[in-house]
Amino acid sequence: MPKFDVSKADLERLVGKSFTVEEWEDLFLYAKCELDDVWEENGQIYFKADSKDTNRPDLWSAEGIARQIRWALGMAKGLPRYEVEKSDVVVYVDEKLKDIRPYGVYAIVEGLSLDDEALKQMINLQEKVALTFGRRRREVAIGIFDFDKVKPPIYYRAAEKTEKFVPLGFEEKMSLEEILEKHEKGKEYGHLIKDKPYYPLLVDSEGNVLSMPPIINSELTGRVTTETRNVFVDVTGWDLNKIMLALNVVVTALAERGGKIKSVKVVYGDFEIETPNLTPKEFEVEFEYIRRLAGIDLSDEEIKELLERMFYEVELENGKAKLKYPAFRDDIMHARDVLEDVLIAYGYNEIKPEEPKLAVQGRGDKFVEFEDTVRELMVGYGLQEVMTFNLTNREAQYTKMNLDFGEHPFEEYGHHPPARLVEIENPISPKWSALRAWLIPSLMEFLSQNTHEEYPQRIFEVGKTTLINENKETKTVSESKLAVAIAHPRVTFTEVKEILDSVMHHLGLEYELKEIEHNSFIPGRVGKIIVNGQEVGIIGEIHPKVLENWGIEMPVAAFEVFLRPLYREPYL
Amino acid sequence: MELSYQEKLTLIKLNELKKAKFDELVEKTGLDQVAVMRAVLWLQSKGLARLHEKSERIAKLTETGKKYAQIGLPEWRALKVLRKKGKVTLDDLKEVLSEDELKPIVGLLRKEGWASIRKEDGKLVLEITENGLKAEERAIDRALKLLAEKEAIPVSEIEEIIKVNDLKRRKIAEEDIVTERTVEITPEGEELANKGLELKEEVSTLTPELIKSGKWREVEFKRFNIQAPVRRIYPGKKQPYRAFLDKIRRRLIEMGFIEMTVDSLIETQFWNFDALFQPQNHPAREWTDTYQLKYPKSGYLPNKELVERVKTAHERGLAGSRGWGYVWSPERAMLLMPRAHGTALSGRQLAKGVEIPGKYFTIQRVFRPDVLDRTHLIEFNQVDGFVVGEDLNFRHLLGILKRFAVEIAGAKKVKFLPDYYPFTEPSVQMSAYHPELGWVEFGGAGIFREEMTRALGIDVPVIAWGIGIDRLAMFKLGIDDIRYLFSYDLGWLREARLVW
Repeated sequence: MPKFDVSKADLERLVGKSFTVEEWEDLFLYAKCELDDVWEENGQIYFKADSKDTNRPDLWSAEGIARQIRWALGMAKGLPRYEVEKSDVVVYVDEKLKDIRPYGVYAIVEGLSLDDEALKQMINLQEKVALTFGRRRREVAIGIFDFDKVKPPIYYRAAEKTEKFVPLGFEEKMSLEEILEKHEKGKEYGHLIKDKPYYPLLVDSEGNVLSMPPIINSELTGRVTTETRNVFVDVTGWDLNKIMLALNVVVTALAERGGKIKSVKVVYGDFEIETPNLTPKEFEVEFEYIRRLAGIDLSDEEIKELLERMFYEVELENGKAKLKYPAFRDDIMHARDVLEDVLIAYGYNEIKPEEPKLAVQGRGDKFVEFEDTVRELMVGYGLQEVMTFNLTNREAQYTKMNLDFGEHPFEEYGHHPPARLVEIENPISPKWSALRAWLIPSLMEFLSQNTHEEYPQRIFEVGKTTLINENKETKTVSESKLAVAIAHPRVTFTEVKEILDSVMHHLGLEYELKEIEHNSFIPGRVGKIIVNGQEVGIIGEIHPKVLENWGIEMPVAAFEVFLRPLYREPYL
Repeated sequence: MELSYQEKLTLIKLNELKKAKFDELVEKTGLDQVAVMRAVLWLQSKGLARLHEKSERIAKLTETGKKYAQIGLPEWRALKVLRKKGKVTLDDLKEVLSEDELKPIVGLLRKEGWASIRKEDGKLVLEITENGLKAEERAIDRALKLLAEKEAIPVSEIEEIIKVNDLKRRKIAEEDIVTERTVEITPEGEELANKGLELKEEVSTLTPELIKSGKWREVEFKRFNIQAPVRRIYPGKKQPYRAFLDKIRRRLIEMGFIEMTVDSLIETQFWNFDALFQPQNHPAREWTDTYQLKYPKSGYLPNKELVERVKTAHERGLAGSRGWGYVWSPERAMLLMPRAHGTALSGRQLAKGVEIPGKYFTIQRVFRPDVLDRTHLIEFNQVDGFVVGEDLNFRHLLGILKRFAVEIAGAKKVKFLPDYYPFTEPSVQMSAYHPELGWVEFGGAGIFREEMTRALGIDVPVIAWGIGIDRLAMFKLGIDDIRYLFSYDLGWLREARLVW
């Protein structure tokens, strides 16, 4: 899911070894990444990395990829260790933020010397974590500040909307309210706090604003450059575990660049914590489970060794393994997750595929086979099959068919169409805002796009129409239907009736037509199709008003029938 | 050598004549000119006859010339009267000359010196001269006679008598170009004709009468030019992409898969996401990535026990899992949406009950909020399913995927990449090496998470798979715009090649 650019030289500096582009392509697989693209820019080779795992934010930067590859190649093994020194910095969290954005966790990273490439990676990681893992900052928002411009202690508090500071990229002070209205980031993320009585603000002991989470940093402290040596990291959100993981991901990535991590005391009303907390997490698995599902004959020792290449510390006791894994990961939910790590370390392409030998027999759905039989029959009449979209709109289904939505006695029409459509709340375009309830409009649309083509035009479709049915689990049912439309200068009701008649004959069915009134068709040339006393379809000559609506200057005759009522169990 | 009836007849007649004017040959055969010409050309191409063509300027009489040939030139007619009367007025000549001829006659007679002209009492009077009395046949008279006899005479021949222009000036004759065709038999032709040729009547259409009467035995059938181009006709046929899907479906059934179907294109979020262990705050469930229905808004949840197990799996975990750790909302799970992936059906099938071991598939229309363009569809077809069995493992998963690549994509090599799906672990993506397309992302698979399968009541491994067939379909159909899979272009559909 997350895609980002990394420079080959930067990766190699971090890994401590050079590789060819082809080698990199294979190495990326250890980091659950695909090398999407390779290009050259200012004499540097760049890769587009496509990270596959939405639960592994630790792999969404050059630092993370390089770290995983160093372990996978055995250049390091077991738990990665990061020293964390306690600082005397304290952050006080305001209880009033409880229903606004309750939690914040913090860290200091000192002794950095970031070049342009490293800076790019830091910003990228921060963005990707907040976007994908943090659900567009709703659950995780990250700020990184020049610590030398901050005077602790620091306060994360609920602020009046009228309070002011200079947001990043601006020169003038703006009120918090103004920022939400005018600042680009305010417009993008403002909805996360807009309706709250106060807005969150991070300020230092001198009242200087660091940021307005989760919207924007201040111009004063929020600009990190190649000159910056010490940074202060702030992560806010709703779930402590989640934001602590994000903090761990960011600080350990900076530590990979040579930074020293210092922890901060965070004081809440009723408890306090020291962050970041890089204590390893624990999990237990049985190696036999791993072996069985992998399908590979691996000894305990081999599994242990593979796990150590994926950051695990393994303590083996009677086939049960006590695992410790690093605090920048939080994706181990089940033994399966450990299994996948073993397989990735082993290399998917090193495993010999084996087809399972199962005594099973295939079979197609009998109704689908009936549909196919009908389609073959239609082709026999010289009709061209078409396949159109199920998505459509009210106008096509009603207005253009000379019907008023919701005002007609639609029962009369026998659900051609019904009184209501299945409609989409958030369509991409009004053109695709409903599911079709009858097929003839789809064929009319098709004909309307082919008025320049040679006539006669004779088409059919076997497709779904989606109808309301309150008794069903999904309150809907998609019924299979056959529709035919014929357009040429001399087409009449008779021509489509001949086809309908022949279809019924070949399916061994008796049918009758009952004349009805229907605004989509010429009066006196339209009828319901009835089989076994049940209304199954409609047939007629399309009304010239409808033809005009679709821009078709050619007479059209058409019918459509439900296929389910025509179906019988086959002999075989 | 095969000869048509006309060719045979022409050759026989030509053999009698050896060399003949074309017209003569036509007359002899009794066929029409076009038929004989065609026969001669064929005979020539077969080396049996030779056609010589000579083009020549000829002179021939005009309508006026023909009249003069009959009644004599105006000056002779006038002279005849003069000889009889010795002296005449113009009015006297009206008897023998037409209005047109009267005007230039004075000039003509004077030029020839056949009459003298003067005015008497204001009237023009013509009197015969010595020359007039002893006038004899001139060049123009000989030419007229000759032309009257022969109809057309080469210009070169006439010019020996008189300038053609002189005849043209008097509108007696006109020039034309004629081609004279002579046909000559070759020694090969002679040899063939002397062997004797059997002559039969030629017909172009075999009629029921010919068959009934048995007369077909006596006739020869006209040879057709089978290379002549014909009009293209379009059969009734299946939509090409749908025909391709039909083929995939048949192949999967042959491979032992059972087809799954459902009765609606609409799904509850429960089956689309929750039952697949996809947490309710998963990015794919965001408003921008998932459709929601305006009407009807919510459906129903399945039986309580199942819902309870799914809820537990999400909140606290099942089967040794710690779960996602959040409060699961049944209202959210009830929301309706057009089905976004075929895996939803796998979940339904597993909950409904499956044969163990068993292989299942579905080809299902699914919907994603994408804009329609040359690389994106608003709805498309997905081919996916699962394999369930007591002792299935990761190697089996790779084996199944590889089989698809070989059977369906015709791939020679495959490559496996780690991947992520919320409902499988471990997960794989497969690239297949297609002989013409190169490496193509062809499918994804994984072992369904235990949190999911246990909640659905299955306690053996289930391998889930999906194959991406659209690029393959586009290749087979020869298109580079994905919209043509659902083509609204009748011209293209009429022309589209079959897929098999």
